[in-house]
Amino acid sequence: MSSSCPPQSPAVAKTEILLDGESPLVAATFAYWDNILGPRVRHIWAPKNEQMLLSDGEITFLANHTLNGEILRSAKSGAIDVKFFVLAEKGVIIVSLIFDGNMNGDRSTYALSVILPQSELSFYLPLHRVCVDRLTHIIRKGRIWMYKVMNRQGSVLKIIGQSIISFLTTEITPVMELFSSMKAYGVVEEVQIKETVLNDDDIGDSCREDFLHKAISSHLQTCGCSVVIGSNPDKVNKMVRTLCLFLTPAERQCSRLANANGSFRYDPGLFVQGLLKDATGSFVLPFRQIMYAPYPTTHIDVDVNTVKQMAPCHEHIYNQQHYMTSELIVLQKIASEDDMIPDTVIHMDESFTPNLYVCICYLVPNYFLSYFTNRNIFQDVMHRDTLVKSFLDQIFQLKSGLSLRSIFLAQFLLVLYRKAQTVIKYIEDETQKGKKPFKSLRNLKTDLDLTVEGDLSIIMALAEKLKPGLHSFIFGKSFYTSVQERDVLMSL
Amino acid sequence: MISEFSEQVGPQPLLTVPDHARLNFDLNYFSLRIMSVDYQASFVGHPPGTGYPKLNFVEDSKVVLGDSKEGAFAYVHHLTLYDLEARGFVRPFCMAYISADENKIMLQFQELSHEFSRASECLKTGNRKAFAGELEKKLQDLEYTRNVLHNETEIQKNSNEKGYYTSVAIEKANELANVERCIIEHQDLLMQVRTYSHKKSREASYVSYEPDCDAEQPEVGLEQSLDPGGLPAKANWSNRRSTYTPKFTRAKSAKCFEKKLKTLEELCDVYFFTQTLEQLGNLEKSFRGDVCYLLTRQIEMKLLQQQRITSFLFEDCVAFSDEEQTEKQRHGYKPLPSHNILSQNVVEDPCESNVAASFESYKSCVESVPIKMEQQVNIESCHQAVADSIPCKNLQATLDLLDIEGKEKGSISSGESIEVLGTEKSWPNPIFAKSESQPSLQCQYPEVVKRKLVVTKRTNSEDSIEVLCTTESLIPEDLKASYPSAIYEEEPAVNNVEECGLRADAMQPFTSPQDANEFSNTNIISNPVTLSNLPEPVDSSCCTGKESPIFTESRPTLVTEYSDGIINVPPQRSKSVDKISPGDSVTQGGENGLTNLTADQVLTSCEREDSNLPGNGESGQLLLEDYLDSMSYISTSWCSDRTPSPALPTSPAKRLPGKRKKQCGKNALWFIRQYSFAQQAIFSLLSGRTLVVVGEQEGKVKKLIHALSMFVPNSGRGEDPIKQWVTFPLHIHHLQTWKLIGVQRIVSPVGSSVLHSLNRYSRYISILDSDNKSLRCPPYRGLLITRMADHRTQIKRGSTYYMHVNNLLTRVCSKAFLYTFCHHLHLPIDGRESEESVACRRLNFLKHHLGLMNDDGKIVQYLAELIKLHYLHEPAKGLNQVLRFAYVSSIVCKI
Repeated sequence: MSSSCPPQSPAVAKTEILLDGESPLVAATFAYWDNILGPRVRHIWAPKNEQMLLSDGEITFLANHTLNGEILRSAKSGAIDVKFFVLAEKGVIIVSLIFDGNMNGDRSTYALSVILPQSELSFYLPLHRVCVDRLTHIIRKGRIWMYKVMNRQGSVLKIIGQSIISFLTTEITPVMELFSSMKAYGVVEEVQIKETVLNDDDIGDSCREDFLHKAISSHLQTCGCSVVIGSNPDKVNKMVRTLCLFLTPAERQCSRLANANGSFRYDPGLFVQGLLKDATGSFVLPFRQIMYAPYPTTHIDVDVNTVKQMAPCHEHIYNQQHYMTSELIVLQKIASEDDMIPDTVIHMDESFTPNLYVCICYLVPNYFLSYFTNRNIFQDVMHRDTLVKSFLDQIFQLKSGLSLRSIFLAQFLLVLYRKAQTVIKYIEDETQKGKKPFKSLRNLKTDLDLTVEGDLSIIMALAEKLKPGLHSFIFGKSFYTSVQERDVLMSL
Repeated sequence: MISEFSEQVGPQPLLTVPDHARLNFDLNYFSLRIMSVDYQASFVGHPPGTGYPKLNFVEDSKVVLGDSKEGAFAYVHHLTLYDLEARGFVRPFCMAYISADENKIMLQFQELSHEFSRASECLKTGNRKAFAGELEKKLQDLEYTRNVLHNETEIQKNSNEKGYYTSVAIEKANELANVERCIIEHQDLLMQVRTYSHKKSREASYVSYEPDCDAEQPEVGLEQSLDPGGLPAKANWSNRRSTYTPKFTRAKSAKCFEKKLKTLEELCDVYFFTQTLEQLGNLEKSFRGDVCYLLTRQIEMKLLQQQRITSFLFEDCVAFSDEEQTEKQRHGYKPLPSHNILSQNVVEDPCESNVAASFESYKSCVESVPIKMEQQVNIESCHQAVADSIPCKNLQATLDLLDIEGKEKGSISSGESIEVLGTEKSWPNPIFAKSESQPSLQCQYPEVVKRKLVVTKRTNSEDSIEVLCTTESLIPEDLKASYPSAIYEEEPAVNNVEECGLRADAMQPFTSPQDANEFSNTNIISNPVTLSNLPEPVDSSCCTGKESPIFTESRPTLVTEYSDGIINVPPQRSKSVDKISPGDSVTQGGENGLTNLTADQVLTSCEREDSNLPGNGESGQLLLEDYLDSMSYISTSWCSDRTPSPALPTSPAKRLPGKRKKQCGKNALWFIRQYSFAQQAIFSLLSGRTLVVVGEQEGKVKKLIHALSMFVPNSGRGEDPIKQWVTFPLHIHHLQTWKLIGVQRIVSPVGSSVLHSLNRYSRYISILDSDNKSLRCPPYRGLLITRMADHRTQIKRGSTYYMHVNNLLTRVCSKAFLYTFCHHLHLPIDGRESEESVACRRLNFLKHHLGLMNDDGKIVQYLAELIKLHYLHEPAKGLNQVLRFAYVSSIVCKI
């Protein structure tokens, strides 16, 4: 009797992840297109909750659904396509990254998906880029593991096949933790000025005038991306909220307060995040993660009132791409060696000394190693500005506790955004929308009243956010370090 | 793009918005990609346990996907429409927004989702109406068929003599049973549709327009035919039945590939289909362009909403008021009718505007200065009628008449006088608002016309300050708040007690400070200031002084400050507009030779110069420029659109509609490059001094007006401060309302009146002669406008320049805001602090905290005053302002 019935479909493997606090995620899935059976789910990761919004069967159905249309896929090799679903009938949103890969010797289409309830749409959207960037990098590395399996033989295949799930588990867990922490400690859309340093009666009440100026100026110069570190959570969070005032509502929702009950890990992609030092008064900032952030970061220590910043945006992106490429190359090389354990490779470089100097692991190739060992990625704020300086001088002339300072802040931000937009437009005009190289930076600075270097940095950073790649375009294809760039600027 | 998954041919594109958007993009392939999966998972048919087909009204699904190889990304909005002929009664459709920028779609996801949901809801509503109509027709057909079959069965039954049924009879009976089942099914479907529609219409925040019930359209009004219990209204149904002729139908539907499926247009009610297409068209336009501009615009809107207290000055209020309007409409508010159309009509009518110029009952507020009151015919007010009534051949007589009248005008020759003309409470009102109690149609009230033509004449008022106001409206309250002067003396000093007193009187009709205080107190009690325009209470003491709860106490301070310069420097002789020559480009301190012209001399010289106007040679070039300008927007004719139609409002909010900012910036860029005195002209505007552009050619003047329009701050009173083209003489009240005026120079009696009026007020205004390319205005020393209007700028495009100027103006507004609301800046810290030290503190603040030197401070002070008045005296409060003048020497600039 039993032999006449078709074999039951094996249950999809599932890993439950224990998280602190509420998790907005329903599940994460890894699915692939089987040439015989069609879309199949390989693995499900779900937070360990008592209440299940969706059953495993429903999750499997949804995960399959995201792959259904991919039979027509004709993407370039190596492409990772992002699909985003809002399925009101099911009450879920799904983010699905579709990619090609080789596993078990077969080239097929895969999907790494994250499923959330539809009620979390407004929570998720500001975090979309962070989520996609994280998943994209996971896929890049995962694809290498899958490729290596193809070149192996016999029993090794199965072991390595399992290791992909293991690898994905180690990578997806932090993503789930990130969502969970953002749910509990994310900065709200509208920050009240009374919760910030700008509500002080006078400048310097909460923190030194020069420190505040440096912090805000550098924060703006690094595209609004900052890490605030300290021992006192209230002090840290006050600075976090202060810096968030200079962000858009969506960017604020992509920022996180410090957790007084236990410090978070650094998460790349957040705009502002508060982090607490441990009992020894130090905080380990992972070099790899810092490099993966989409923008350069300002490091603000509210205990010792120091402000350091990374290289400008275009230089950071250049470094980032090199570092990522190097990491993948090394991964490819190491994965070919039988005795390599994946977790070791992935996490061995996550040490970052509190003295802000780079700790270079041996994985980085020599040509890149020399670059990083000779440089400190966090440097003093070099460019002084007049925009933030005059703003701070003036805003404390207005009476606190009223809406006057909020209005003045809105005016300041409006000036910044309009200036950035004018810069973009000016460059578009000069270059015929990118058809010609940009040669007249001196004219731009004179015409748009951006002769002060710090002012130019702030506006260029804002313009970079609005129009990614703008800064790199101005300096052409050649790469300049900050110092070299400064020379170029001076020579124009 | 709208696409469908057809049950016959599979995914297929139906239409694109705009139509010509296809280019080389493979719509078929993309349709296949986006429609290959049913993301709605709708179930239609006979669900287990139910006997009848059940319509499942599924929610729309939204998908963002792309084709990285093709470089096309899309927001796809899946929806289901209903069709009686379709399989399972459903037709899956999708509406897609396709872009090459994936980032744009995700960044604008919420907005796209919202807009597409609206369009989808509109389409689905129309579809439900059409579907219900189809069902009704079908029901009628089925009933008709049932009747026919029933009759046939009865005939068969009656003809049955053998006692058993023939196969034909059995077939007929089966067919009848089948039809009856169909009727029940269709009735059930109809009820489902109507119940759902009723539910949706209750949930919808908007009130959808229902087309009038037309006998020719049986499907119209179906959604309204539902009674509260969700049952069909029999009356409506039976009514519609009469309009449709039922036909015999077969219960069995045609084969899948034999039947012809309805088009999208047929599936939907026409009205809703048109609405949907319109919405999609608007959607495509609103999301057109680079995402960075979309983002910046959205951020700007949010930020501007937080700073309404200053944004009235230079911002295009349309943008964010439109958003508010949209938001209100979303919440069920109905748009209010435009009120300013009526007032605009009044403004546009020069004849009616003169109604306001009722100077007959003016009296001097300065008791110490005797003012002789005479009555005479006001040529300015009736020149139009005179010109119309006098035949052309009698031109010389007209000129003679004007000559005489011109000579009689005492104020023309009062070159040594200081004149402060106060506008009173009531006179602007007839201009800008028609009230029932004061009809403005002169033709209906000839006695009123006659009365209004009578004006006062000041015959001998040398070295005096005069405040004119109507007798009946001499209410100090009306003169309390005042717009600041545009004109400042270069050497302010106070050493003439009498004049100082006059000055104070001129600004406020109080005889003593006690009176002023008393009145202020009264005013505060009777007119409490509500801070409703701020999200949180603003410290009103910041702009008016915290120590004193009476904000009016700050005004005397301002008066003193602004009128400091009036006292010692005697008024400069006003030059005739027509006599500006290159040799005059010096200050007029000691010059008075040219100003002793009589009116006929002025007219003669005017005629002489008009005959040799250099503008004729430039007209061709100008026309070409205009043509080229208009070529930038092929679809919109700038020049024609820019000219305000009398029927259209020209409120500040309508000043720079949409994309015309680009053209405005282009003209401004042309102006600063062509005219070396552009900075002086801009300074006049930014410091509140009315700038009059005089010229023979309307196009040339309008172009200059257009170029300068972006520098004119709004008063916030809802009046347009720009008048592009005026062919009638200016009056004093025009200078209160209009800050940038284009005036026609013409050789005619009317023209001479116009120039005459310009001469009369030439001491209070700046005059840009477009024909002679000269400017008479106060000099400017500062950095602010130098940055704003640098003729060496490398900015290439007008739109970029507009953005640059807009940015600088925002910064100036920010400074003005700070100056207005800065804590403890405007009042003495203690009782012992003198006014001088307070004024000194303010100057130091401007200089050291705001970094403003020389004349830049005057700009900020003027804008601060506008902010203060706008904040304290909203139009709704019914308070009016006083026009105030002070002297400052002018220079003549020429290219």
